[in-house]
Formats: sequence, structure tokens, C-alpha cells
Amino acid sequence: MSESTKFMPVPQSENTKVGMWVFLGSEVVFFTSLILVLLLTRLVNSNYEAEFRSLLSIPIIAVNTFVLVASSYFVVRALEAIELGSQKGMRNNLIGVIVLGLLFLAGQAFEWTSLFRDGMTYSTTYGMPFFTVTGIHGTHVFIGVLWAIYILAGHRRLPYTKVNHLGIENFGLYWHFVDIVWIVLFTVIYLI
Amino acid sequence: MTHSTAERRANYLGIFILLAGFTLVETVVSYVQHEAIKIPVLIALSLAKAILVLLYFMHLKFDSRIFTYLFIAGIVLSIPLILVMTIVMPIIAGH
Repeated sequence: MSESTKFMPVPQSENTKVGMWVFLGSEVVFFTSLILVLLLTRLVNSNYEAEFRSLLSIPIIAVNTFVLVASSYFVVRALEAIELGSQKGMRNNLIGVIVLGLLFLAGQAFEWTSLFRDGMTYSTTYGMPFFTVTGIHGTHVFIGVLWAIYILAGHRRLPYTKVNHLGIENFGLYWHFVDIVWIVLFTVIYLI
Repeated sequence: MTHSTAERRANYLGIFILLAGFTLVETVVSYVQHEAIKIPVLIALSLAKAILVLLYFMHLKFDSRIFTYLFIAGIVLSIPLILVMTIVMPIIAGH
């Protein structure tokens, strides 16, 4: 960060962006509590590897992680496109975000179905924290997909422009945060 | 004012390739049996990915530092939660 960035005031026109960062700060606390429950369950019960981790498919989830990371790339490209005045570029990249978001949710549904088949339900020791945290994260992705659809639908009536595109930026902040949460969950649940 | 569009632009494709590469390395490392090597490497890679997204995709590197403080506030507020749940709860649970 350059010296000039340090204490740059935020213009009033960017109030919603400040609001989004306050919201994301609160989401950090929320997801930290959920991840802690998951870690404590592992700490208190010593059979995580045999009872639960062996049921997880790391390669499939790695692909799903790649899909979400790729969707983040499309989001930032959508913002870049509208900042350059390309409405078509923004629209195409947002369509990419929606497709990848839905693909991620499909991957999660596939994983959950497979776990249910193996007897891992919500009422089991590891099932409760796992389905809670991944379910709440998946809900965030779903809300993000709906938000992207809303932007595309509303864009026809009130188009974003090179100057006015804060709505896209706020959506991007939300989506990237959801990506960061998954980056942490991927490590905590699946890899370690 | 926050920085202009041109000042904020980064090599997004390069960042994406790094993130994808780190994900691949993480997946390979997860199969290593040596926990003393595996866990620190995985935590470091995960942190690196999160920081890359925050700095470049979320533009914290270029935007007003106020946004960084707001995000860090969330992390600071989580610390009492972490302390209570990792120190007090296991004692209550008798572990």
C-alpha cells in the first residue's frame, strides 16, 4: 500500500462500500465461530480420520475449489470491464460467475448425496458441524448467484456505467469474501 | 478519494494462476503423511491465497486503509471468541 493510500478519506458516494466492509467484518466473526465448533469437535473426538475424513473426496472438492477461485476471477474481470465502459464484457463475465457458482453448488450437492449414502447425516458427531458450516457457506454462494442474476436483470433498466458501478464492486467484495471462507474451509475440513 | 481505476488494476490473470497453482499444491501436500510438514505448509498456502484475494481481487492494496481496518476489526473481535472456545470450553467439557 502506498503512503498516499494510508489515510485516504472515503467519499460519501462510497458509503455502501463502507457498509459492505462492516458487514464482511461481522461475517468474519460469524464464520470463525462456526469453524471453531468444527475444530473443537475434532479436538474432543479423536477418530476424525477414520470416521469422517476417509469419506471425503479430496480431488472432487479440489476441483470445486478451483471452480470458486475461477468465479472470483470472473467477478474481478466483470468489474474491470465496466470500469473500462464495456457493458458487454461485464455481462459476459457475470454470466460466467453465475455458471461457475451453480457448478460449485452442484459439486456440493454431489458431495452431500455421497456422504448421505455413506451414512453421514446431520445427527452424527461430525455431520452436524460439517453440514452446518458447508451449508451456510453454500447458502452464501446461492445468495451470490441470485445477486448476480439480479444485477443482470436490473442492468437492462438501469445500466451500470464507467462512472456508476459501485453495485458491481459491492457484489464483488461479497463474492470474494465467500471465496476466502471456502479457501479456509477447504484447508480446515478437507486437507488437514 | 479512493484510487482511480487505472491505479487499482492488477495482473488478475497472474493472481488467478497463482491461486489455482496453490490449490493444486495444497491438494498434493494433503497426501503427505508427515503432519509436522503438512500442517504448516497447508496453513501457509491457505493464508497466502486469502491474502492474495484480499489485496488484489478486493483491492485492499490500492483502496483506503479504512477498509482494511474494518476487516481487521472482524478478526480482532474473533479473538475473544477463539480464546473462550479453545481454552474455556475444553475445560468445561472435561478434556
